Amino acid sequence: MNKKIQGSAALVAAAALAFGAFASAPASASVKTYSLAYQGPLTGGEASTGIDEQNAVKYAIKVFEAANPNIKINLVSVDDEGDPAVASKVAPGVGTNRKIIGLVGPAYSGATIASLPYYKAGNLTVISPSATRVSLTDPKSPTAKSDYGRPIFHRVVATDDKQGPALAKFATKGVSSPKVFVFDDQSSYAVPLRGYVEAAIKKISGASVVGSGDSVINTTTDYSPTIAKIKSSGANVVIYTGYYSAAAIFVKQLRDSGSTAVFAGGDGVFNQEFAKLAGKSAEGARLTGVAGLADVDAKLEADFKAKIGVSSGVYAVESIDAANIFLSGIKNGKTTRAAMNKWVKAYNFKGIAGATIKFNQHGDISEGGFAGFLVTGGKLVNQGPVA
Amino acid sequence: MFDVFIDQFWQLTVSGLALGFIYVLIALGYTMVYGVLRMINFANSEIFMWGTFGAIVASRDLFNYNQTSEPATGGKLALVLIVQLFVAMAFAGLTAVLVEFVAYRRLRARGTNRLATLISAIGMSMVLSEVMRILTHSRPVGSPRILEKVILTEVWGAQIRLDTLITILAAGAIFIILERFVKLSRMGKAIRAVSMNEDAAKLMGINLNRVITVTFLVGGLATGAAAFFYVTVFEYTKFNIGFTMGLAAFTAAVLGGIGNIRGAFFGGIVLGLAEVYAASILGTQWKSVTIFVVLVLVLLFKPSGLFGEAVTQTRA
Repeated sequence: MNKKIQGSAALVAAAALAFGAFASAPASASVKTYSLAYQGPLTGGEASTGIDEQNAVKYAIKVFEAANPNIKINLVSVDDEGDPAVASKVAPGVGTNRKIIGLVGPAYSGATIASLPYYKAGNLTVISPSATRVSLTDPKSPTAKSDYGRPIFHRVVATDDKQGPALAKFATKGVSSPKVFVFDDQSSYAVPLRGYVEAAIKKISGASVVGSGDSVINTTTDYSPTIAKIKSSGANVVIYTGYYSAAAIFVKQLRDSGSTAVFAGGDGVFNQEFAKLAGKSAEGARLTGVAGLADVDAKLEADFKAKIGVSSGVYAVESIDAANIFLSGIKNGKTTRAAMNKWVKAYNFKGIAGATIKFNQHGDISEGGFAGFLVTGGKLVNQGPVA
Repeated sequence: MFDVFIDQFWQLTVSGLALGFIYVLIALGYTMVYGVLRMINFANSEIFMWGTFGAIVASRDLFNYNQTSEPATGGKLALVLIVQLFVAMAFAGLTAVLVEFVAYRRLRARGTNRLATLISAIGMSMVLSEVMRILTHSRPVGSPRILEKVILTEVWGAQIRLDTLITILAAGAIFIILERFVKLSRMGKAIRAVSMNEDAAKLMGINLNRVITVTFLVGGLATGAAAFFYVTVFEYTKFNIGFTMGLAAFTAAVLGGIGNIRGAFFGGIVLGLAEVYAASILGTQWKSVTIFVVLVLVLLFKPSGLFGEAVTQTRA
């Protein structure tokens, strides 16, 4: 093939491409496409939480697109593995991609802190369905300089200063003179939550915090020193404030050691996958989390399964609410980052669970709390709200 | 501060020993290769990780066990465990030989310096772990429970569990077999000859490349055995577990005197015990710090490690 023919072949190809694009254009002439993003762990040890949330966002988009045929939403998946180190690598690209006008997530508090500088710089509004660390919305916290997310950070979930007491209460419920051993995984979610849990236990009459606790990084697989501490402390309740994949490894070793102490965890452990990974050892574990979609509305759950192909997972309600806030903004013509930020700040509508969603100046909602879940027969069974 | 340590001393010791024996076998992987090539095979940590997947593949895909299966019993139990052990060793052994072929042999043939091989080792380590990360979508993989973790007896308040007992005894036996192999067999003598003086060994008609391949294979087999015990005790693996375990085992090898097989043994045991003791006294967050402080102190006063003289030869 000589150069001339090569050149004209390229020209034909380019023309075909252009024509193709043109030919398909009339059919979608009035359809406009906007980009939203979801950020959370989509691979890695915590992937189950992220995939659950992203499915819920996809569901909200599907419902929205069906009701608004001339708007198409392009969902950008941002995988931070729930890990601050990964988040700080992916966030810059998201922050500078001006096509993305709103982001549901980040799912985890540590990853949120790592991403915030880039989203603040790009004025990208984020609504997290599950980041519960208090300092994200607290201008007075000692770490506010790096953590405080105003004006772009919002969340549709309650915070750990509410979760701590709920977890303490639920973990010790029905245990006579509870002696509680608390440990964390050194993450920016787990360490402060542990503080709230310990403070709350001291307020429960008859209950006490025993042992010196522990702080075990989540790459650990040998929990024998921690278990030795638990045994030595005589604890009958063990609370872990980290995430589910490490919790599953730990609880197996705890049960193998012959311990029958109650095992409890926060919303980091709250995932179907915890019961699956830990098998029999997970039975009876007490977790704080949020009500699922099926608890809120069985019809909605059936529709979710029909549209997405799988049942909804954890934080489905929160993720749908977060997505809906952005989607209603797009419907109302808020298609730039600045306009979207104003829209979210002024938002005042009912979420799918019926409660009003309205953010205060720090990005928190006033409603919302935590429910207790008991692992029974390999499933997380809702025991109702823990006040 | 010391109350947990005193109260749970024997329990901690049993756990520390089980962990220590796993370190011993991985440390052998480092020490064997170092003895012969004077090079740290940084890919050994990933060879270990591949071995753990071998053990899980064996129980899951050859015997169709899953997370909800009942543990095996009797003859079936022995069969599954032995097959798991062999598959893990085969995975790790073959990976080790492959690493030697791909990353080191050609460099050696061109007479490059050791630094180039060292970089190549780090590269191989990254490739092996990234491949597994992609294959598993970075997710942890749980191992089906094959061995029911029966508490056999209690000695001074320490539970002796079946899996820890098997680990300690079997890992000890494998160590002795490998040590005897290097000390007594013809091939073992060739390995030691190459380690003492490469040129002289060549002149004596020893096939250098063959000796090196066997060294990698033996180191890989030991590492693979460690992987099997790890999976049996912890029932879990992930693409990145090699780093922590490898670093600990490498430290154990240096502690005992790298290149020295018995050094690897004592280094591994000392490290396993030091880890659990330190974690119980200071808190788990201080575990790694303590280990490296111990390492630095040992090297400060005895630069060649506890058993020393590694720089001159592989000792059996």
